[in-house]
This record gives sequence, C-alpha cells and structure tokens, in this order.
Amino acid sequence: MNNVIKKTKEKQKHSLFEHILIPISSEFYQKEIFEISTVLAEKFHSTITLLYIIEEKTLDQTDKLSDVYRTTFEKEVTKKEIIQRYISSADNIIFKDAKQLFTRKNILFNETIIQGEFSEVIKGQVAKNDYDLIIMGFEKECVLNYRLFDDIDIPIWIESGHNKESLLAVCSNLAPNQKVPEISIHLSQILGLPLHMLYVVDIEDTVEVDSIGHRSERKSLQDLTKRARSFASSMQERGVQVTIVNGILEKETEKAAKQYEARLVIVGREQKKRGIFGLKSLKRKMAEKCEYSILFVN
Amino acid sequence: MKEKKDKIEDKFRLIKGKTPTTSQKNILIILLAFFMIILFHFLPTPEGLTYHGKIMIGILFMGAILWIAEPIPLAITGLLIMIIQPILGIMPAKDVFSAFGNQAVFFLIGAFILASAIEKHGLHRRIALRLLTFFESSPKLFTFGVMASCAFLSFIMPEHGVAALFLPIVVSILIVMKITPRKSNFGKISMLSIAYGCSIGSLGTLVGGARNPLTVGVLADNGITVTFFDWMKYSMPIVLIALPLVWLVLQISFPIEIKNISTAKREIDKQVSSAGKMGKYEIVVTSILVLTIILWFFFSSPEYFGLAVIAILGSILLFITGSITWRDVEERVPWGIILLYGGAITLGFGMQTTDAGIWIARSLFAALSNNPILIILGLIIITVVLTNVMSNVGAVAILLPIGIAIATDIPELGVSRLLASMIIALSGGLAFMFVIATPGNAIAYSSGYFSTKDLFKSGIISNIICIVIIFVVAIVYWRGVLGL
Repeated sequence: MNNVIKKTKEKQKHSLFEHILIPISSEFYQKEIFEISTVLAEKFHSTITLLYIIEEKTLDQTDKLSDVYRTTFEKEVTKKEIIQRYISSADNIIFKDAKQLFTRKNILFNETIIQGEFSEVIKGQVAKNDYDLIIMGFEKECVLNYRLFDDIDIPIWIESGHNKESLLAVCSNLAPNQKVPEISIHLSQILGLPLHMLYVVDIEDTVEVDSIGHRSERKSLQDLTKRARSFASSMQERGVQVTIVNGILEKETEKAAKQYEARLVIVGREQKKRGIFGLKSLKRKMAEKCEYSILFVN
Repeated sequence: MKEKKDKIEDKFRLIKGKTPTTSQKNILIILLAFFMIILFHFLPTPEGLTYHGKIMIGILFMGAILWIAEPIPLAITGLLIMIIQPILGIMPAKDVFSAFGNQAVFFLIGAFILASAIEKHGLHRRIALRLLTFFESSPKLFTFGVMASCAFLSFIMPEHGVAALFLPIVVSILIVMKITPRKSNFGKISMLSIAYGCSIGSLGTLVGGARNPLTVGVLADNGITVTFFDWMKYSMPIVLIALPLVWLVLQISFPIEIKNISTAKREIDKQVSSAGKMGKYEIVVTSILVLTIILWFFFSSPEYFGLAVIAILGSILLFITGSITWRDVEERVPWGIILLYGGAITLGFGMQTTDAGIWIARSLFAALSNNPILIILGLIIITVVLTNVMSNVGAVAILLPIGIAIATDIPELGVSRLLASMIIALSGGLAFMFVIATPGNAIAYSSGYFSTKDLFKSGIISNIICIVIIFVVAIVYWRGVLGL
C-alpha cells in the first residue's frame, strides 16, 4: 500500500510538465532548446511537440518592401520558394537535430509546421492542446513579436544555452508568489540544483499584487517590506532562505542572477505597470537582458 | 511531407484573401505628411526663396515622409507628388505629365520586358548556376562566387529579381550541406553575399536599379546625355573595387568555420545537369539580349537611337520571335516603378523650376564653406544614410535636385551636375545596413540564416568602406581622369 502511495506521489512529482511544446520560428533557430528539452522530458516523462512556425511577418515584410519593384506574380513565386525552403530546412536540419537527441533518449515527440504569426500560432496551439510548458529560444533583433509572454497562462522557458549551476527564484510585491516557490522547489529537487530565492520590494511600483493578480493601491515601503518578511519566514519554514532587497525588479533580478550564476531564473506573474513610454512588458525586458535562462511561470 | 505542403498552401491561399486596411498609425503618418504642406504654407518665406519654392519644400518633406514610412504604396506617393503640384498651383498639369515623355521611362519598360523574358525561360537560373561552377573549390571562394554572380546578373536584370533567384539556389545548397541557420558563419556570408552582391552589381549598368535611369532622365532634362557605355565607364571602377572589399569585410566579420565544400559542389553540379541543354527560346532570348547590349554599347548616344529605342526594339523582337507573350509582361513587369519614377522626376523638376533645390543646397552646404571635397563627401554620406532608411529610388529622387542645384548654383566649386548626380545615384544603391533598406536585403533575410544584428554589423563597415571608395573614385577618377 505504502509502495502504491509512494509511486503515485512520485508520478505526481514528475508529471509537472507532461506535454512540452517547442516552438521554433523560421526567423531564428536555437539548437540548445533541444538539450534542455531532453533533460526535462526525461525527468518528467514528458511528450514533446515540435512546432516549426513559418513567420508570416518576415514574408509580409519581404512582400511589402518589394511592392513597387516586383509584380504580384513574382512576389508570389518568391514567397512560395521561400516557404518551400523553410519546409526543407525544418525537415532536413531542425527536425533531424531534434530526432537525433529525442530518439536516443526514447522521448516521444511529434512535429508540425504552421505558417502564421509566432505568438498567434502558439496561442492557438496552446488553446487546442493540453500543453503545460513551452520551451523556446529568444532573439532580441527579430521581426517576430513576443506577445505570448503576457498572453499565455502556461509556463514559458526561455533557454539561453548557458550551463550554470544554480536556480534563482524571484518573488516580489508585484506578483502573487504562489506558483514560483512551488515550482522552483520542485525543479531544484528534480534537477539537483541549489535554489536561491530573492524577494524584490520594487521601489518603482509600490503596490501589492494579490493571489488572483489584482494590484492594490500604492503602499508604503514599510508595509511592503513587512509583507516580504512574512513571506521570507513562511519560506524559511520550508527550508528555503529568502534574500530581501529593495530596488527595481528587473535590475535586481539581473544582479542576483549574475551573483548566483543562475542556470535558470524563475519569474512569476509580475504585474509591473509600464512607464508612460513603456512599450515593452517587464517580461520582454527581462528576456532581452537575459544571459541566463528564464522560466516565466505564468 | 506532401500533407505539410498542402497545409501551408491552404494557409497561403487564405492569406491572399486578406483585406488590407489602413491602420491608425498609417493614417497618422499620412496626416503628418499633408501637415508638412500646411506648415510650409504658414511659415514665413525666407530670403532667397519664393512662395512656390517654399511649398515645393513642403512637398519634398511630404514625399520623404511617405517614402520612408510607406503608409501607402511607393508608386501612389509618386502619383500624389505629381498631382499635388498642379493642385497647389506650383506647376501646370501639362508640364507635370510631360515628364513622362522622358525616354528613361521607356528604357525602363524595355529593360523590364527583357528581364521578364530572361526570367520566363529560366535563363537567369542557368547563368547563375553556370557561374557558381567556377567557384566550387573552397567555401571562401564559393561565397565570393555568390557575390560576384549576383553582381554580374544585376548588370543585365533588376537587382531584386536576382536576389529572388539566388535565394532558393543558395538555400538549397546550404540545406544539403546541413548548414544550421543563424549558427553558421558560412551560411551568414553566403546569404549576405546575395544581398550585397545584388546592391553592388546594380550600380554597374543602367539596368540594375531604377535609380540609374532616373538619374539619366534627370540629367537629360538638364541637357546632359549619358549613354549605356558612359554609365558603365563611370560606375564599373566602383563595382570592381567594392565587390572584393565588401567580401573581405564579410570574411573578417564572420570567419568561415567549414573547410570542405564537396557537398555544395555535388549539389551545384546536380542542379546544372538537371537544367539540361539550352532550349530554343533560351537561345533566342540570349541572342536578343546580346544584340540589345551591343546596341546599347555602341548606339545609345543621341546621334544614333538613344537608350529607349534600343530597349523597346529588343522587347519587340522578343514578341516577334514568340519568346514572350503579353501575359508574361503583365505578370512580370512592375508598372508601379514607372509611376514612382514619374513622381520622382516631377519632384526634381518642381524643385528646379521653383529654385527650391538651390535654396536647400545653399542652406545645407553653407556650413561646408564651399569646399568641393567636403561637399562631395557630404553628398555621399547623406545619400547613403537616406538610402538605408527609405526606398533607394526615393532617396535619389529627393537628393538629385539638391545635388544638381549645388552644381548649378556654385559653378566655381568645380562640382559638375554630372559629377553630383553620379555621386548621388551610385551612393543611393548602397543600402547595406537594414532589412527594410532594400528588397534584396529583405529577401536574403527571409532565409533565416543571418540576424538583423549581423546585417547591421557587416553593413555599417561595408557602407563606410563604400563611402571611401566612391569618394576616392569621384575625386581621382571622375574629376581627375575623366574631368567630370
């Protein structure tokens, strides 16, 4: 009986990421995502879906720029040629790279090619299928947008490919701080990496975010620090030491990631208000500065 | 595989049915462009400028905004520039539309028809593959081969068509070689060589880029004749110097990681053999093309036939021999460029007749203390900067009247109208830094083999080198040797 309970618990523990989606844009390809996917799929017994997205924005941009110089017929011929090369590139290079790794480790996977806008395609796939983790690469200088960071409610792992030796979990007054502690403790155990937990009291946006993600009125730093201390003591009971800092969330995160040489930074549903001219979300800003991998626990 | 393709094709068909709408951003840009004219209407008229000249500068700003941001197609901006001048009483409609009578327009039409015949029969592909066979011995040589072949083909057909031709050829070779997109420097250089090779090659003849005939047209309006051979005489040194130097920049920026190119060689040979022997129409088109080029070389001066007559003659021969049909012309001749050209040439005409060009020239270049060396350098730099952020025909259209005005207004500078125009026309083709700078860059970028950062990194150095090349050629060769 004990054995059955143990096994069930073990299964629950390991099924955190049962179905992993790996979207790859035709605009850029980061091979390292397959390595971390293999590690996670092995640990969590996950199945993987490789989704190659033929980036519509790149095609449209080429089309638009050629507008006056080339005829509709010529542009269509070129577009079809480009699409064919993308398919060929996905089949002969990207999927082959993945197959080599996944079949060696007996990981179940399937592959799909879809033409569309990166974020929209992923959102569509997540709505239709039962994925619980997205693993993807990131490149700042891209035509594609990363709206999905804010629009999708499953975890997104952005792989940088750097091999460091610890996990950094980031909590703050701007997030509910519910999933991050759970997932980071879990990942720390499974991956066997030491966990550092940081609590940032954001001095730019002094509100509190509740468990359903609602922002409160502005609060004093004293109140926010009190909440931070209470969070830290609750985590201490679970054996996790929390470092409390006052500062700007994204900057403190970057600083701590460097200090702890983080393999992965785990960030929650941070609801930081954008500045007057803030065009980019907090997550996008964090991803742009990332020399380390990030897991957005959405 | 087939299922996947069908899925993509279905999606592709759906996308074609999308209804385009003007976004709020575009509406704001259009309003801003028109606001320029209103603004210039209310601004006090400065000394040395007439009211019409002031409004003409407003039109220039309007055109520049629309050509940079492209809220409406470039060709439609061309039409707008044409009609707004009679509407605002700057120039009579008769004069505006007579600009279309310029023989450079008909040269462009003829050149596009010739190019469409080349494309229709796959002659360009055959030439491209044949050229690549000479560069199969090493990876470095291969990348030079791609660049040189693109440049060579851009001598006989529009640069964007050449980029579109080379993209599938080179990508198929890279795929066979299992070259990983973005990771491989060999992949990066191969694709960047397409973009830069086409841009550099397009400077070489009047066929490569529409800005070249535009310049010839504007010069003709100023009583200066430039034949096909003249153009090559002026431009070829720049092409021949820029090509290896830009290639060198790429080699230094992205050191090639592979040594063996035997797979590429096999793929090229396979594609060459699958192309088979030359067909009947390929031979006919080649013959007509060679004949046209010979005629352009020796008989394009005004005392003989002129550029346009020969181009149209070549086109008619293509129809007579059945090498091309009207459907092919409809499919492959981009008529929009003719409208863009019309807008560009009338813009220049308006700037000249209202003396707005001279006023801008005086204001802009007063700071350069009438130093011809600084003025030449200034013209090159301004053109290169502008062509990197907007359509290169647009950039040349905006700057040509100013360049010509400098030459006309300050004759003691020793910068002739021809010299100023050649500087602007050739610098206008050097759009190396951004994806949005020219369709050739965008087509190469769509391969996924290089990033915008890679393009900028190599583009900025290449642009600086080309600025130096044009500057030296302008001073030493054009001014010194040819006495331009």
